[in-house]
Amino acid sequence: MEMEIVRKKQHLDVRYFIVSRGFVIVLVLCFIVFSIIAKNFMTLKNMVRILHAEAPLLILVPGLAMVIMTGKIDISVGSIAFLSSGIGVLLLTHYNIPPYVVFPLIVVIGSILGALNGLLVVVLKITPFIATMGTMFIARGVALQLTNSMVLSIPKELQRLGYAKVGTIYIDIIIAAIVLLLVYFIHVRTPFGRHIMAIGNEANVAEQLGVKVPKITFLAFVLSGLFASLGGIFVLFQVGAVTPTMGQGYEFNAIALCIIGGISLFGGEGSILPGLLLGGITIGVIENGLTMIGASPYTYPFVKGGVIFIAMYADSIKRVLQKTKIAIPEEPFTTTVGLNHKKSSVRSNK
Amino acid sequence: MTETFLRTIGISKSFPGVQALNNVSIEFFPGEVLSIVGTNGAGKTTFMNVLGGIVQADKGEIYIEGKLVEINNPLDAEKYGIAFVHQETSLFPYMSIIDNMCISSFPNRIGFIDYKLAKERCESTLRRLGCNFNPRAKIQDLCPGDQQIVEIARALLGEHRLIIFDEPTSSLSIREKTRLFEVIKSLKKEGISIIFITHLLHEIFEVADRLIAFRNGEIAGGGIIENITYKDVISLMIGEKETDSFFGHRTLKVVGDPALEVESLSRRGVLDNINFTLHKGEVLGIWGLLGSGRTELARALVGLDPIDKGRIKINQNGTIKAIRHRDAKKWIGIITENRRKDGLLLPMSVKTNISLASLRKLISRVWPLIDTKLETELSKKLVNRLDIKITSLERQVATLSGGNQQKVILAKWLLRNPLIYIMDEPTRGLSVEARSEVDRIIGELVDSGAAILIISSDIDELMNVSGRYLVMRRGRIVAEFQAEASKSDLIAAAAGDSHKEVC
Repeated sequence: MEMEIVRKKQHLDVRYFIVSRGFVIVLVLCFIVFSIIAKNFMTLKNMVRILHAEAPLLILVPGLAMVIMTGKIDISVGSIAFLSSGIGVLLLTHYNIPPYVVFPLIVVIGSILGALNGLLVVVLKITPFIATMGTMFIARGVALQLTNSMVLSIPKELQRLGYAKVGTIYIDIIIAAIVLLLVYFIHVRTPFGRHIMAIGNEANVAEQLGVKVPKITFLAFVLSGLFASLGGIFVLFQVGAVTPTMGQGYEFNAIALCIIGGISLFGGEGSILPGLLLGGITIGVIENGLTMIGASPYTYPFVKGGVIFIAMYADSIKRVLQKTKIAIPEEPFTTTVGLNHKKSSVRSNK
Repeated sequence: MTETFLRTIGISKSFPGVQALNNVSIEFFPGEVLSIVGTNGAGKTTFMNVLGGIVQADKGEIYIEGKLVEINNPLDAEKYGIAFVHQETSLFPYMSIIDNMCISSFPNRIGFIDYKLAKERCESTLRRLGCNFNPRAKIQDLCPGDQQIVEIARALLGEHRLIIFDEPTSSLSIREKTRLFEVIKSLKKEGISIIFITHLLHEIFEVADRLIAFRNGEIAGGGIIENITYKDVISLMIGEKETDSFFGHRTLKVVGDPALEVESLSRRGVLDNINFTLHKGEVLGIWGLLGSGRTELARALVGLDPIDKGRIKINQNGTIKAIRHRDAKKWIGIITENRRKDGLLLPMSVKTNISLASLRKLISRVWPLIDTKLETELSKKLVNRLDIKITSLERQVATLSGGNQQKVILAKWLLRNPLIYIMDEPTRGLSVEARSEVDRIIGELVDSGAAILIISSDIDELMNVSGRYLVMRRGRIVAEFQAEASKSDLIAAAAGDSHKEVC
């Protein structure tokens, strides 16, 4: 009896591994296909290039990932990156405020915008999607107003930072690695990180067990704003300017990255490492690989959409698999009174 | 007698429409297992929630070691050393055992969790319960019995003075259960007070020292376990007078042809080999404790949950034929347990809700559109027939009283006019007046030849309307009684194992 249960479980686990780690298979396939077709794909230089292209997004995404893991969503990260960087560049170029003041200030502005989202969701109890959509429009509007919809360049010596290297590695890759490691440790090794997961799993239960749900949720949104603006800074370095379209679509790229990286939009599941890193690499590899094999640039959104569908489908299959697991133990049902045990026999004993 | 650990004086709590607790005063002693019994809705769980800080009492005082305290939230309860093992598992499925056990008390070193220490603590607590789980395993990978063990282990972790077990054994195997009882005995020796709630009455005689029975939110009686018999417990739970009263006042109707036949219906781990026949013009009552599988049976019959095995046959125009499981919805009208959530479109009008299940009937002959005149006319007829008190058919359902909402659901099915009805707790939360009206409608339906399967936690109500009973326990039908059965028969059959002791 017990053996049977164990075997069934293993069987389930194989399927489970495929659906939960499916994107690893997708990634490996992509690597194989691209390196066969494009000669220059599988080179160290190109790998570094892929990471370099994804670095700003990888710096931006960990905060958002925390929000998603509480079972909520933040679609304002792109606009937050735009507004905070826009203000920063204005201060830098029009008011001659030194960079070492401006860049920390950008991060502070991002955190404040994140806190605004947190207030809307936690205090005013607005649905996260709607609340952050409002912030998305407002922040973009304010930023366009402030920058006059113009391209504002940053000084040459700062532009250089976007392509500065240590050895063969770009600086922003190193920063991305540090950010991911830091958030990874916050996520798995602090009560805060565990509480985020608990809320995503079952907010009511978390509340019952003394987790401060509103406070933690609020902090997750603050982190999302903070890392959004930090990621924005590195976009700024790479592009060399604030453009009116900066950060546009970033929110969905970032959400796509989370989904592909195995973070469930239902909350409570997923990892910063390796999840986000693998998600970022998958997106980068597809983007880079399609360019290398000379595909039309319009195929990229199409392929990305397909990958997201697959990732989401795997996520929902996983839920179904879990639901079909047994609800009460397979212990033989205890002795029964039996259907034939009618009223008459009970009464006769009295 | 030793000093009390905790004492409540005059705890009262009311929810809209119900007095859940009325003037409850209990003393808890260190090193004693106190068992609290009562039928569903007697107030046990509310009382535990007051102690656990999940709900706040309207009136009354709680003293811990002689000092007046306020328990406003679960954290306060934790602070005073009160741990709560919930009836429904309250675990985080995607997190590890360690995380689940330590979530409110992570050992930490400079802000980071000390996982090594946490793991050791969890391991030693689990070992005490006789389990060798890997504490890093995720909850979703454990079977429900093991999950319950984790839930219990969470309460054992840390320095608790009072541990509340709310039906801890419902999904444990016999071996695990024995182990749990041993642990409870050793906790007792350490001077911890224990509250043990169970529906399986024989368990009380195995572990408890003292017993208190709740009835309608009040303490009905109790005493030291040695002086109490199984029969006493049942009469305390359901009231002295009524123990042997019969509910034979219904005129027993001659039932008609079979309307629904269920053959060896099974759903792994939930329902086990269910067989029964429901006839036209019959009300079949299903009685069982919470978690016995009664709601699951209703859901599986209608096709809301999948089944693994079994056949459902339905009377179609006089001949009984097996149907595909997914088609069951076509023939059965279901009234679910939670009417606000599953039964109604709350923001929409009474009319829309009534016509919802029969839109196809209402399609105009001229256009493929809904004939709104016919819709209004038929809705109005039903509103009058069921005496739904509304000023306009356009009234939002959300603004109606519970009784009128339930009647709207009934009207919805009456318009569709299925042969078979399944009613899960049709009168839950209704006023006495609304209850009797719903019961009257059930009577009318039966008279017109419908077949009704009814599930209720309120045994009086169930006995009021049913002509035959099936008793469920652990996913099985364990007994069948005719109309003249008494309350204690039903309760004893549902509580199980020690059936013989009743008599």
